[in-house]
Amino acid sequence: MDTVVTPKKEQNQLILVKDLTRVFPVPGGEFTALKKINLEIPEGTFVILKGRSGSGKTTLMNLIGTLDDPTEGSIWLDGREIGRMSERERENLRRKELGFVFQSVSLIPSLSVIQNVEFSLRLAGEKDQKVLRSRAEECIKHVGLGNRMEHMPAELSGGEQQRVAIAKAMAHRPRLLLADEPTAELDSAMAAAVTELFKKMSAEEGVTVLMTTHDAGLMGAADMLIELENGERING
Amino acid sequence: MFGLMLQKMWHKRWMNLCLFLGITLLVATLVSFPLYEHAAYDRMLQDEFETYLANEGKWPTSNTMVTFSKRDKKGTTIEKMEKFVTELADTLGVTETQSIACYSLTASDIHSEMNRPDLSGKFLKLASMSDLENHAEIRYGESFSDTGITEDGAIEVLVEESCLVEKGLLIGETIIMDTILDSEGNPFRVKIKGVFDTSRNEDFYWQIDKLELIGSCFMKEDLFRQIFLGERVGKYNITCTYFQLFSYQDISYEQVSALHETTRYMTEKSAYRSVFRNPPYQEILEEYQSKQTRIAGTLRILQIPVLIMLAAFLIMISNQMYELEKNEISVIKSRGSYRRQIFLLYLYQNLLLTAVGGLAGTGLGKLFASVLGATRNFLSFSGESAFSVSFHRQGFLFALAGMIFSLICLTLPAISHSGITIVNLKQKKNAGRKPLWQKLFLDVILLGVALYGYYSFHKDLTSISNTVLSGESLDPLLYISSALFILGAGLLYLRLQPWLVQLIYLTGKKHWGPAGYISFMENRKNGRKQQMIMLFLIMTISLGMYHAIVARTILDNALENREYLDGADVVLMEKWEQIRDADGIATGAYREPDYQKYMTADFVKDCTRVYYDDDAYYSENKNDRQTITVMGIHTREFGSLTSLSDTLNEKSYHTYLNELARSADGVLVSSNFRTKYGLEIGDTIYYRSSGGTQASGKIVDFVDYWPGFATSRSSLKADGTAYTEEGYLIVTHFELLRKAWQGLPYEVWMTTKDGYDSGDVYDFIEDHKIQIKKYVNKSQDIRSVLEDPLLQGTNGVLTLGFVVTILLCVIGYLIYWIMSVKERELVFGVLRACGFHREELISMLFSEQLFAGLFSCLAGALIGGLTSRLYIPILQYAYASADQSLPMRMIVDRMDMLRLYGVIACAMMICLVVLIWILQRMNITKALKLGEE
Repeated sequence: MDTVVTPKKEQNQLILVKDLTRVFPVPGGEFTALKKINLEIPEGTFVILKGRSGSGKTTLMNLIGTLDDPTEGSIWLDGREIGRMSERERENLRRKELGFVFQSVSLIPSLSVIQNVEFSLRLAGEKDQKVLRSRAEECIKHVGLGNRMEHMPAELSGGEQQRVAIAKAMAHRPRLLLADEPTAELDSAMAAAVTELFKKMSAEEGVTVLMTTHDAGLMGAADMLIELENGERING
Repeated sequence: MFGLMLQKMWHKRWMNLCLFLGITLLVATLVSFPLYEHAAYDRMLQDEFETYLANEGKWPTSNTMVTFSKRDKKGTTIEKMEKFVTELADTLGVTETQSIACYSLTASDIHSEMNRPDLSGKFLKLASMSDLENHAEIRYGESFSDTGITEDGAIEVLVEESCLVEKGLLIGETIIMDTILDSEGNPFRVKIKGVFDTSRNEDFYWQIDKLELIGSCFMKEDLFRQIFLGERVGKYNITCTYFQLFSYQDISYEQVSALHETTRYMTEKSAYRSVFRNPPYQEILEEYQSKQTRIAGTLRILQIPVLIMLAAFLIMISNQMYELEKNEISVIKSRGSYRRQIFLLYLYQNLLLTAVGGLAGTGLGKLFASVLGATRNFLSFSGESAFSVSFHRQGFLFALAGMIFSLICLTLPAISHSGITIVNLKQKKNAGRKPLWQKLFLDVILLGVALYGYYSFHKDLTSISNTVLSGESLDPLLYISSALFILGAGLLYLRLQPWLVQLIYLTGKKHWGPAGYISFMENRKNGRKQQMIMLFLIMTISLGMYHAIVARTILDNALENREYLDGADVVLMEKWEQIRDADGIATGAYREPDYQKYMTADFVKDCTRVYYDDDAYYSENKNDRQTITVMGIHTREFGSLTSLSDTLNEKSYHTYLNELARSADGVLVSSNFRTKYGLEIGDTIYYRSSGGTQASGKIVDFVDYWPGFATSRSSLKADGTAYTEEGYLIVTHFELLRKAWQGLPYEVWMTTKDGYDSGDVYDFIEDHKIQIKKYVNKSQDIRSVLEDPLLQGTNGVLTLGFVVTILLCVIGYLIYWIMSVKERELVFGVLRACGFHREELISMLFSEQLFAGLFSCLAGALIGGLTSRLYIPILQYAYASADQSLPMRMIVDRMDMLRLYGVIACAMMICLVVLIWILQRMNITKALKLGEE
């Protein structure tokens, strides 16, 4: 690692991935989930990461989201190398600069819709009750659920839950939003609507969105498309 | 199906282990009870018999039958009686140790062949006693010859020493029995062959009345039978006395009521009723039975809360397990399995668990019973059990009952759960309503009932001690109302707890970080899930605290009272010999035994002489005669070897002693002389000894308590109701009484040196051949208080109950938290992904534990303290002994409380450590994957 020279940050570049490899130990050997991946993502782009299941999408998302450590290679986020960050620095990064939307559950079941959204603002350090409230309301209205603010997550449909998750992930104005298969459990109309929402949020808030999907019908919305197969990047 | 069952059990092995533990504890608790009772009652019964033996010097289990065979009855009476006596032991179901038949002819005028005039007007009975030669110790002369007849045809007889003196007989003299005639009409001749002594009575052979011994001469038994009970049986009037002794050691407590009933039938209803003298053991058995009823009733009541908590635990865990398996059940059902099949699957599983748990529980129960027997105080044990515990039929019955009960507790939830299908499982999920008890205001109702109980008992405290003294057990309602109070207050706390948490949230709203925020919200949303475990905690702590204080209070009060009444380590009063004048007539004065021997005895540290007369009296006029206790003391010596708590009287103990010491004719009197007779300090008081000798003194002060002074004494009236008598006391100088009462017997009060025990005192008594009139040994008395089955059983049951509930509580608490963490693993993953720190997660769980655990502990301690304050002043009356003199007070031992909180703190620590360990192992990416399954 010492021999790797930090590349000079290009204008507008948010994510830089160099020779990223992730190997998991499995019973009786090793499984290489990612092989020498190289990526460069400019700020404000809506990127879709496509590939079949098992192609390494989630592994790449987890690595970029600082939830996992690479076996080899490195990731720079806005010029900072993730691998050199302490656990606490990564946690703070996630609190302030990243947003997550997961496949099924991204919400805290004991919090209402608005409380969930407020909570990500709280995590980012916001303490002013008024600011919390108005920003959360704004985000929820943005995803079209202004009439559901006091509902509990269990009372919403899957699509509604994902929209709240997006509001929650956006509320603290992260620089990068990572969405891992957010449409996997939705029907195609709902999936298209959720994808549209990502694109809209990305355009309006200037957030870089990295979303994985295996649904070919959604690819059209992307500013940039990255395709993985068997842990390797197969398009430019 | 069996394979599926085992597989299912293995999958949920931790839950099943908990169920197994619950069943084991339940069965063990139930089984320990009859086992302990069995051993304790047997010991208590033996104690009763031995106390009688020690106090009365007589064999307790004996029957005496007296009948009279008339001349014209041809001996049929004797035949019937002998047959009856041989069968008696079998009828009563006892082991006979000795049977003595004593036959005696009507007393006859006697005269000596030596023509001494001394014998004129004297009578003698000719008698025989079974096996006399082997028991009579010949003092002078010799025993019977083989034939029992002298060469010149006189009947050889033995007489007791007092008979020889009383009748003025001479050894070797031949006497003619004027009115006892043989077949030819000649009077029988008897020769005084020897004189025997009855002082050695180790085998209790000498049952015969002392008067009979003085008036009879005894011939060889077979000779008596040959001459008087043979062909010529119809010719004589014969008094037949039969003594039957049976072993009391072989009587077990289970036999008691049968033995008592049969004996009562024999002596009151049967054809033989008129021949029986009152058997001494009947009264002992009655006394024992009333004690046993009291103990059994009391201990059973005390066990109820533990059993309820065990049942609740089983239901709670098995419910939790069904909850976890809900989805599986739904799937199986949707695939078309019958409800019955699912039910059977659980039934078999529970049967297996119950069988294994029951077996282990039965073994553990035996251990529990020994622990009960080794209990000293709440949560403290002596090294060895006071008795050995063994299995018996009742123990197994209880084990079986426990197993059936467990099975019901386990299977009940299955009935409702086997009705679940996927549809109604989903329906149930979004139902968030108030629990039934809250809607019914069960907490308020329970508190109301408990407080009503409190007031109605509080109104009439004396009736509580009276019912207990008259042999009834602790009124179940009294204990139950205290338990209901705890339950009601616990539920009330649960009702208020969310508001309390909300209040804390609002007061610090601005300061809570994300972790605090989440835990408040979690508590608001899911707090109800924790209610069961919170109630468990509250109940465990409040019951534990309440029981610790109950146990400590009743035991320490009993011990303090015993020490107070005993006065000194050892109190001993010798039998004083009366001084007789030249004619042998008692003068009323006594010969004082050597006092020096006490001062030089090894075991004695200090000793003093005390006049103690508790049958003295005081009277203002002829119609009023008040029995009083008079004590004559050496103030300095007495003060140095006795002590009295300064809180009992107005002034300190030594102030009173000094006041008395300063006034040569002074007396200290009990306060009721002032309240009842209007006496004042400076008045002269006149009083008399039990023998009627007067003494007087000037009152220097009034006291309420004094070492060895019984302030009140309760006993039973003839109709079985209890009444209490107030005690009166006069304390004065030893020398003053010695002059006034002229050498009446005194007691010696002693303190013993460290390391000496009662064995040394016995050796001393033996070595100096002291005949004892009164003997008190404080350490022995204290031991018997500690081993009193009522007190020990109470302590044991409460302690075991506490240990069991603590165990349940820890397990329950752990399971609850592990489940709750496992359930939320995905949420924790989400939180961590959003950048939640690990420490924040721990602090979040910590505050959740704070709200559920620590708050409940505090509430439990508060409720326990409140319950103790309310109910112990009432409850202690139920344990007061008949001679309770000291005012009873509630005793809270700091060590007891520390032990209690220590145990609980350990349990909470374990929980926290386990939780942190689970969290440390948690991996974010793995946790998040859970959501995708």
